[in-house]
Amino acid sequence: MSRASDAEARRRSALLRLSTGIAAAHDEREVCRAAVDGLHDRDLGYDFVGVFLVDPGTGDRVMQASVGWAGTHEGYRIPTGQGLSERPLKDGEVHYTPKVRREAEHVLAAASGSELDLPLTVDDEVIGVIVVEGAEEDAFGREDLEILTAAARQASLAIGRMRLIEQERRSAEEQRALMDTMRDLSGELELEKLLGALLQRAVKLLGVTGGELAIYDEAHEELVIVAGHEMGADAAGTRMGIGEGAMGHVARTREPLVIPDYQAWNGRSAQYTQDTVQSVVAAPLLIGSRLVGVIAAVHSDPGHAFGREDLRLLELFAPHAAVAIHNADLFTAERRRALEQTALLETLADMAGELELSVVLRDLLVRAAELLNVTGGELAIHDEESGELRIAASHNMGADAVGTTMTQGEGAMGRVAQTMAPLIIPDYLEWRGSTEKYRDGSVRTVMAAPLVIGARLVGVLAVVHSDPRRRFGEEDLGLLKLFATQAAIAIENARLFTEARHREQYFEDLVQNNPVAIVTMDLEFDITSCNPAFEELFGWKEEEILGRNLDQLVNTAESLDEASAYTEEAYEGAVIRGLGKRARRDGTLVDVELAGVPVMVDGEQVGIMGLYHDISDLLRAQEQAQAANQAKSSFLANMSHELRTPLNAILGYSEMLMEEAEEDGNETYVPDLRKIESAGRHLLALINDVLDLSKIEAGKTEIYVESFDVREVVDAVTTTLRPLVEKNGNTLVLQCDEDVCEMESDLTKVRQMLLNLLSNANKFTERGTVTLSVSREYGEDGHWLTFRVQDTGIGMTPEQLGKVFEPFQQAEASTTRRFGGTGLGLAITRRFSRMMGGDVGAESEEGAGATFTLRLPARAPLAPPSPTYPAELT
Amino acid sequence: MRPLRPLTPQNSPELGATQTVTKILLVEDDEMNRDMLSRRLIKRGYDVIIAVDGQEGVDRARSGDFDIILMDMSLPVMDGWTATRTLKDDEATAGIPVIALTAHAMQGDQEKAMNAGCDDFDTKPVDLKRLLGKIEALTGVAD
Repeated sequence: MSRASDAEARRRSALLRLSTGIAAAHDEREVCRAAVDGLHDRDLGYDFVGVFLVDPGTGDRVMQASVGWAGTHEGYRIPTGQGLSERPLKDGEVHYTPKVRREAEHVLAAASGSELDLPLTVDDEVIGVIVVEGAEEDAFGREDLEILTAAARQASLAIGRMRLIEQERRSAEEQRALMDTMRDLSGELELEKLLGALLQRAVKLLGVTGGELAIYDEAHEELVIVAGHEMGADAAGTRMGIGEGAMGHVARTREPLVIPDYQAWNGRSAQYTQDTVQSVVAAPLLIGSRLVGVIAAVHSDPGHAFGREDLRLLELFAPHAAVAIHNADLFTAERRRALEQTALLETLADMAGELELSVVLRDLLVRAAELLNVTGGELAIHDEESGELRIAASHNMGADAVGTTMTQGEGAMGRVAQTMAPLIIPDYLEWRGSTEKYRDGSVRTVMAAPLVIGARLVGVLAVVHSDPRRRFGEEDLGLLKLFATQAAIAIENARLFTEARHREQYFEDLVQNNPVAIVTMDLEFDITSCNPAFEELFGWKEEEILGRNLDQLVNTAESLDEASAYTEEAYEGAVIRGLGKRARRDGTLVDVELAGVPVMVDGEQVGIMGLYHDISDLLRAQEQAQAANQAKSSFLANMSHELRTPLNAILGYSEMLMEEAEEDGNETYVPDLRKIESAGRHLLALINDVLDLSKIEAGKTEIYVESFDVREVVDAVTTTLRPLVEKNGNTLVLQCDEDVCEMESDLTKVRQMLLNLLSNANKFTERGTVTLSVSREYGEDGHWLTFRVQDTGIGMTPEQLGKVFEPFQQAEASTTRRFGGTGLGLAITRRFSRMMGGDVGAESEEGAGATFTLRLPARAPLAPPSPTYPAELT
Repeated sequence: MRPLRPLTPQNSPELGATQTVTKILLVEDDEMNRDMLSRRLIKRGYDVIIAVDGQEGVDRARSGDFDIILMDMSLPVMDGWTATRTLKDDEATAGIPVIALTAHAMQGDQEKAMNAGCDDFDTKPVDLKRLLGKIEALTGVAD
């Protein structure tokens, strides 16, 4: 082996070390350091080397690493316009200066013999320069040029990779930040976009030909491809089982996988031909130990087999993708929660109201404008009553826009409201529906979407751009719709909230304006609120009694026990009612009707509500009514007494005179005396009936129940009535069933009722028949006695029939004169019969007689303790 | 005023079966009622002594030997309830039955009379037949 080839071998070995050093670097500076160190290697022997990178801000060359240059340091800057090393920055070429001293612009004087300046290039852009100097002139030859060029290329690649990684890291972080801000906005669509971009970068970074990214569907235990890059047919949406293909394998093992030769791999999928996949590297996407997806990169170049280094790079992306997927999961769950919360909005009493809605909408609009990169926007709420749109938020559209209204069909937003469909206007000035207001040049392109809840329009969201070149596309519209959904929900929530608040206000007003004193207490028995009526009734101000014990507050020593018992009952969940006296603040007492009601919230008792109704006026009125009634009763008693005394004389003397006239044989006076007597009797009957009726109406009539034989009573009554019946030329027929037997009732009243019915029937019948039928019925509700009085008299019209049981309602006023009677008998009969648990009814046809039916229970339901003897004279 | 006609079993059928004449004290302040009722009772064979107020009624009851007293309730000087109570409290007169006669026909009037010690109660205007029945029931001269 020649010396030359020996030196060559050492140089190659040195170059390899240089490459390795560069590859091992973790950042740009380390790359630079490795380049300098590698070139300074004794087998290469460059003693004066400096690596500069261009500061993108200033354009300065900034020293990253150097060797052999005394007096300089890392960070040393060479400004634009100075030094020989600027030349490669300008043309991207290697510049060799054999004799430095001949060049005017050189600045460094390290070696000052000869100098090589080599550009560092990433993506065709010069990002730095390697400066190598020699102490002598003409120090470098062709071989040096080759070595140094290779070193510069390696450093360039390394730095390029670093930058791509850094850029990726930054953009991933940006994406994450974006994700965070969009968590309440973005949906699965955005996730796919994000993952697509992520995959694209990974593919570029790895220098591979294609890649795929799949999400793990936990519910189905499958992988779903959400992004594909240069993999032939669009694979998005394809599902794979766990263990199926390279990605399925990774999903199962949760371990990264490198397949240098895919076509030889026994797990390969026939879907991927030699043209598309030669080599595969795949990594699991994990959050902690949870699998959320798999990322894979492929190479179609047969000469390119993946190695561990490629895997390491791929794994750089995995966490970002995993976080993105995880965030999307969180978002979905959160959105579901948000929807649930919307339903529960009414309970969120402290949530934003109308005022805050405008703030929410404005925020929303500004965010939409930012994300869509537009110059302005407006958000209008649809007023369902008027059908108009009212601008609720405006962003960079002029100060006075908020509050202005538009009709449906007016302008872009009006059009959207009308059609309920999104609208993109590429050139607003050319648009037929444009309005003058926006023709000042600030609006050149427009995109608007309806805000919809269900099928109901709640508003319109519009964004504009002042540059006509801004074209809105499907993606923009998709994003706008996301904001539209948010805005619609916010408006709807505000509406629901306002409704709830109105309802709350309504009930609050109901309590505040209620004439009933209302007070509420918590479970500690402490007062929590009271209404103005309570303040007025008891003389306390609400703020004075909050936290105090109600029972102690409004009770005297006498009423405290009773009140506490009420309170306890209400606390146990009972609704209590009562009457009593309660003390005002000044110690005076007030009569109240009170109620205690447990206060329930969601089925749980949270307190008790007390209601007090001042009934002193009522009680006073009641006392007055009682006094008036008393006065009426005593008036009736007195009147009855005063009328009876002279009547006693009239009746007594006329009877006496009749007797004497008959005895004397002087019968001339008898008919006239009889008229006096008869008129007196009628007057007496009238007095008795009025007295009866007033007693009934005063509730003073009592039922005295005794046992008696029905037949006997009926016989007695018919015997009494017979002379009267015969006087009218009538026949009285009695049909009494054998089984009528006894009844337990008020004998006196039964007799009175039968007399009333029979005399009534007789009164309106001449030369006819009055029939009394008595029968006993055996019903499920006990035995009943039916007394039917039927006549063949003049009968009644339906109108007369309808009023026959009302007091002083003889069929006609004239009939009273013609037929006599007080006009109270039937009214009294009906009242008596009902008091005894029965009733009386009538059937009749004019001119065809009448039938009165009295039904009474064989056993009267009332059994008053003390026997009474109501005045009864006939 | 017509003279009272002599009392005989012939013109007084009610007395037909009786051996002795029932002696009635009628306490009544209203002149017409007093006159009318006393004449009708006398006509039916009763011996009727008159008192015009409660106090006189008590006094006469103590001095005479009455089979029964017909007592109005609304009386001057001493009302009928007091008079009855006085008589019933006095051993000498407690045994004489008292029928309250009153135009007070309201609920409770009867109870009030019975509580004062009356043995029976009747309302004005008087139904003579019914009153006679009550008198006979209390004096034990029926049939």
